[in-house]
Amino acid sequence: MMSIAPIPIQPYLVVSVLLFAIGVLAVLTRRNAIAVLMGVELMLNAANINFVAFWRYGGGEQMEGQVFAVIVITVAAAEAAVALAIVLNVYRRFKTVNVDQINLMKG
Amino acid sequence: MIASVWEAIWQSFLAGSFWYPLAFVCFALGTLIPAALVALSRNILHSALWLLPCLASVAGLYLLLGAELLAAIQILVYCGGIVVLILFAVMLTHGVGDPDMRVHNQQLVWGLVAAIGLAGILLHLLGQEAWQMGPWAPSGDVTARLADALLRPYVLAFEVASVILLAAMIGAIVIARGEPEG
Repeated sequence: MMSIAPIPIQPYLVVSVLLFAIGVLAVLTRRNAIAVLMGVELMLNAANINFVAFWRYGGGEQMEGQVFAVIVITVAAAEAAVALAIVLNVYRRFKTVNVDQINLMKG
Repeated sequence: MIASVWEAIWQSFLAGSFWYPLAFVCFALGTLIPAALVALSRNILHSALWLLPCLASVAGLYLLLGAELLAAIQILVYCGGIVVLILFAVMLTHGVGDPDMRVHNQQLVWGLVAAIGLAGILLHLLGQEAWQMGPWAPSGDVTARLADALLRPYVLAFEVASVILLAAMIGAIVIARGEPEG
């Protein structure tokens, strides 16, 4: 068994940062509400990569990193189900899912 | 920062561990390129489909980190569940999608600035830290220890998560059903 990490932790953190930035880009710029949700999923995955990477590079003894990741995946699944149900209902009422056209409460 | 990371991967490649850096680069590119296509693709259906290789590559990264159960959960829940759910929603709401419709709002330039600025700041901060990490210990039976952690010290979070799932399922059914007729 090797005791030196095959690669340092920085590559994982860089992948996580770039994935998070792409998720922010999708959330900020897409018009379709479902595409905004996809951006949120990308950001959650970026956070999960960080959790698992720090679990592994922290020695792998404390399981908190993986427990956090499991809980995040669970909450992401619940969030996707509820949000997509809301999107379907919004589509039924407004005949659009573009978030910049759903401005009923805009002053 | 990216250059130094590339240097580290290349050094590890030269140092003899052949497959690990290679697999890491494959999974990293397999995560980031489809993710960029998710954010920028003109067709919302293509965006939803590009989510699939992106999330599967994240599962590959979990495998490289030695979290086998998490990789399996990622494939099952994300690739099997959430992507299918998103595809359903896209198909059910796609009637408005004429191909000439703008897919980005007026904030495209500012969104790009914000995303690139955020990435730049975070990469800069990453580069300043030395990240002295613990040893890369042999992982042993990770799945058994994860189960032990979930059912002993974190059993409350585990139970709360199951209650959240139940509430979300009922809520999604009630919301998606809409107003009862008659």
